[in-house]
Amino acid sequence: MKQSQLVRQLKSLRETKPSDNWVAFTKERIFAAEPSPVGLRAGILSFFPVFRYRLALAPIASVLVLIGLFGFTQNTVPGDFLFSVKKMTENAQLTFSSGVEKPQIQLKLANKRLEELGRIAEGNQVRNLDPTIKEFQLNIAQATRDLAAFNINVTSSDPSAIKELVAETRKLAENKERIESVLGAVIGDTGELNSAILQLEKQTAAYLIADLGKRTLSEEDTQLLIQARDEFNAGNFATSLEKIWILSNK
Amino acid sequence: MSNLRKTYSETYDKYVKKIYRFVLLKVNSAEIAEDLTSEVFMRGWESFKANRDKIENIQAFLYQIARNLLADHYRHEAKAQLVSVEYAPPLPDRKQDLEEAAFLQSDLERVKAALSDINDDYREVIVWYYLDELKVSEIAKILNKSEPTVRVLIHRALHALKVELK
Repeated sequence: MKQSQLVRQLKSLRETKPSDNWVAFTKERIFAAEPSPVGLRAGILSFFPVFRYRLALAPIASVLVLIGLFGFTQNTVPGDFLFSVKKMTENAQLTFSSGVEKPQIQLKLANKRLEELGRIAEGNQVRNLDPTIKEFQLNIAQATRDLAAFNINVTSSDPSAIKELVAETRKLAENKERIESVLGAVIGDTGELNSAILQLEKQTAAYLIADLGKRTLSEEDTQLLIQARDEFNAGNFATSLEKIWILSNK
Repeated sequence: MSNLRKTYSETYDKYVKKIYRFVLLKVNSAEIAEDLTSEVFMRGWESFKANRDKIENIQAFLYQIARNLLADHYRHEAKAQLVSVEYAPPLPDRKQDLEEAAFLQSDLERVKAALSDINDDYREVIVWYYLDELKVSEIAKILNKSEPTVRVLIHRALHALKVELK
């Protein structure tokens, strides 16, 4: 075979090639073990395991931002830029609470406003004073309305709720007095609230005393009921309820 | 990673047929050639990811992996042949030999057979120079030899092939 002929034969060997299927399959196999690229900053972010799960990144980041935002807004007072966010969480808390809990939460919020007023007075934040007093008065008014709307069947089935309401009202009265002495001004009338609480105590105690009177009680319980009735007749409705509560929880 | 993948994917498309042919002309078995070629690109990808900047000539790099794998393959084959005759495959019968001989009559098959029988260095330069059309300078880089040495090697390789074909 001549050299030129041999070279021609060699060049014809260029036609030797693998099947297209094998070429495609092998290529797939080479890259199959590799995780698919997740983005521009994958190299840096993949250092932190949480960033490898990119799909979960957005919701996690949103939740973290919200938690941070709500945490930060807890220190705001009425009149601050982000107080509306805090107010939003308070409203959400009220929306998802039961009828019995609503006035109690309103009273807790009113107490919170009083605490904020104390901070405002300490920091001499005059700008926040008026909005905070207004918020306090709104909480008191709403709590009064909620108490007036109370169904006797609800309160009588849970006398402890009234006990907590009474405790919260007492705390409110103490705080209000303290803040008013610091500010040197009256920050709102709680007369209506006190009347509402008193009315509620009276109604509930009367209902429960009548209800317990129809039942067969032990000697000890009968004594407690007599004491409750005496307190009621003396106008001490809260103390009367206290006795009934002890009797009911024995 | 995405860029690396793209670059290596293009490299694969460009060289897979050449590497396959380079391997096939040595091993004379499509199946073994496929296995070894895929191993070349697997190893190439691992190295490419880890040391991309250190690879100056990807073509030379892939051929070098192929040469190493072929050497390993034949080393392993040589060991495998050191078995008892009891386990050796039966000898082909004479009739089959004649049929194969008839098949090898075609010039192309003769050239292929001769290529797989000559010295490895000779076969490599023939494939690179005549089939892959690499320049002498490129072959010199792969073999880490001077260009005049490569020219002499190509000349001797062709002569050896002619002798094998006689």
